[in-house]
Amino acid sequence: MSQAFAAAVCRNGLALRCSRRTLSAAARLQRNMSCSTRLAASAALTKNWQRFSCLPAATGNMQQYVRSYANEKKVFERTKPHCNVGTIGHVDHGKTTLTAAITKVLADKKLAESKKYNEIDNAPEEKARGITINVAHVEYQTETRHYGHTDCPGHADYIKNMITGTAQMDGAILVVAATDGAMPQTREHMLLAKQIGIDHIVVFINKVDAADQEMVDLVEMEIRELLTEMGYDGDKIPVVKGSALCALEDKNPEIGSEAILKLLNEVDTFIPTPVRELDKPFLLPVENVYSIPGRGTVVTGRLERGVVKKGMECEFVGYNKVLKSTVTGVEMFHQILEEAQAGDQLGALVRGVKRDDIKRGMVMCKPGSVKALDQLEAQVYILSKEEGGRTKPFMSFIQLQMFSRTWDCAVQVQIPDKEMVMPGEDTKLILRLIRPMVLEQGQRFTLRDGNLTLGTGVVTKIMTGLTETQRSELTEGKKAREKKEAAKK
Amino acid sequence: MLLQKFFGRAFHTTRLVYAAGAGLEKSALSALRKKTGYTFANCKKALELHNNDISQAEKWLHQQAQSMGWSKATKVADRVTTQGLVGVLINGNRGAMVELNCETDFVARNDTFKRFVDHVSRIVLHYTDRTEFDGDIWKLGFDAEALKNLETPQGGSLADHLALLIGAIGENASIRRALCFKVNNDLMLTGYAHPAPTNITTTQNVTQVGKYGAIVAFRASDFDDLEVQKGICQQIVGMKPVKIGEYGKDTPAENKDDETCLIYQEYLLDADKTVGEVLKERGVDIIDYHRFECGEPTKRDLKELLQAQQLNNN
Repeated sequence: MSQAFAAAVCRNGLALRCSRRTLSAAARLQRNMSCSTRLAASAALTKNWQRFSCLPAATGNMQQYVRSYANEKKVFERTKPHCNVGTIGHVDHGKTTLTAAITKVLADKKLAESKKYNEIDNAPEEKARGITINVAHVEYQTETRHYGHTDCPGHADYIKNMITGTAQMDGAILVVAATDGAMPQTREHMLLAKQIGIDHIVVFINKVDAADQEMVDLVEMEIRELLTEMGYDGDKIPVVKGSALCALEDKNPEIGSEAILKLLNEVDTFIPTPVRELDKPFLLPVENVYSIPGRGTVVTGRLERGVVKKGMECEFVGYNKVLKSTVTGVEMFHQILEEAQAGDQLGALVRGVKRDDIKRGMVMCKPGSVKALDQLEAQVYILSKEEGGRTKPFMSFIQLQMFSRTWDCAVQVQIPDKEMVMPGEDTKLILRLIRPMVLEQGQRFTLRDGNLTLGTGVVTKIMTGLTETQRSELTEGKKAREKKEAAKK
Repeated sequence: MLLQKFFGRAFHTTRLVYAAGAGLEKSALSALRKKTGYTFANCKKALELHNNDISQAEKWLHQQAQSMGWSKATKVADRVTTQGLVGVLINGNRGAMVELNCETDFVARNDTFKRFVDHVSRIVLHYTDRTEFDGDIWKLGFDAEALKNLETPQGGSLADHLALLIGAIGENASIRRALCFKVNNDLMLTGYAHPAPTNITTTQNVTQVGKYGAIVAFRASDFDDLEVQKGICQQIVGMKPVKIGEYGKDTPAENKDDETCLIYQEYLLDADKTVGEVLKERGVDIIDYHRFECGEPTKRDLKELLQAQQLNNN
């Protein structure tokens, strides 16, 4: 009797969970539904201990559901996808005025808190992970999305912002004044956007109240031409014309508030919503490995992305090894989890691997979703002395220790486009790892030298693996290198 | 996809046709803007004043550029300039180093600004030609005020040229300081600006630009030993020595990371040696050096600093 009840609650709980998820991921619903009912059925047939521990897990889900149902409206607002945008443009073309205008127009619709011009401009220096970045962050939302809005005064600040990852920009609004047109440095603004990996730009031609139609059209043509020249699809990029000042002062709504709404509409549609961590293939950096008598090997760590369920195929990658296995159980705080989601600290029971096969620093992931590599290109910020970095500059061939996720590894540094790097500078580096480790584009890491944090960076490009000779060169000293150079001459 | 492509193209051509067919006026404005690069507002004004005569409008724009630059320059004069570039130019026995500031590093990366750094460096270098002297080494520092009044071979003062630049980039800019070197007899000059591109072949008569710069006057047995010259310059840029130092007179600091005497510092390119050892090995004798860092605070007026040093030398 009690067994039948447990199974019923279990099934019910899963069904309810499915319906809750429709809000966020409708497409995955059907697949989940069929899959989870099958799971529920099979759960009823397995051993006793499993069924009993299934009960608290299922009721837990019920509570969660009831709780979220009670204040449904709030939950709905939170499910608006988040997107980070930034403004770039010349100092006098009205970036800050535009930001202020956006918050004002949206505040009228109760979607944002209105910020005045000087509130944005005087944003205090932000210290993120010990690195000083001059940045202003503003938040607002449209009907469809929630936005974080970034504005920095200089190139170096945008780069630091990208490296520390405080707010990775998914798209940018390029502001150009109709009275001036493109400035000589507009080219540099577009180069920056390219460099920090922004693929989607929306153009706002500002100050149209001070220009005539003909000028506005010519500015649009000029900007489209320049964008095409810089490698963007200049013909397809949306261009909105208006006056941020008019919107701020409630004048001429057709070029004021309406233009702002049109711009936001273009931002909503043209800049794609970033893929949520939850929807990506799962990945768990291994923190610890335990061998539990009678059960097998358990790996623990924080699930970085995706969803892990019992019965999923998995792969361990790192330290020159790739091991295939299956997840036979997922636990959190000594309770069995039906499904672990990104952000959960969990233990996973895996089949057929010994404890000594897996080491901290490997990752458990969906088979084939990540690769270990030993050569990469990265954008790195080198801490200044005041920020706790080193005092001396460094040259190519320096040996450092690289820390990322749960692993660390010795790397050799090559500086591709200059001869030395000074503390406080951002730079492109080529890093060669002594052994292949799991790395992906966009992954963040820290470089240390002895007991000093030298810098922090982000992987920008994956490069082909090292050849045998290149790898042996990594360990050879300066004298051997010089000898080779001399022999070449 | 195909449909999209088709429409994209259709829009594109219609816009071109529209632009070309909209009459003389429109093409005149865009032609003038393309040709001169002045702001749309100014081009428009020029055409209005000259009944759409492009050549006359262009002439007027060039005449007006100076005053427009000045008006822009006065408008933005109180805005702080913390970014910028250091330019280093060496030509034979003469050398010049200048620091220019602007508001954002976007501008500092722009070619227009870099060309202007080159322009200023050459004017400062030109100034050394007018000086005759007999000693081994002669140097002169300029502060912002002195630089503003410097006459240029092209006519007008340097401040006029700066106003033109401000008009073009629409940002405040300033020439903060400059230094010129001239050496005689067996002395040589070398310079370096960081960050330097890796593929430069010669530093002679090319303005190197960067965030940091160094000029070194030296005596050497082998003048063509460019590698060590560059190494010394990098050392000065990177390790910021306070003085050259003398054996016997100065003692090395206890913590070698805090060493401020050039000769006792660890050589950056080979940490096993000190700079002094490298110099001895290569037969190089450093006579004088100067280091500029963009935006660094100058404690004293540069001239005072130079005078003090000259007094020491005498």
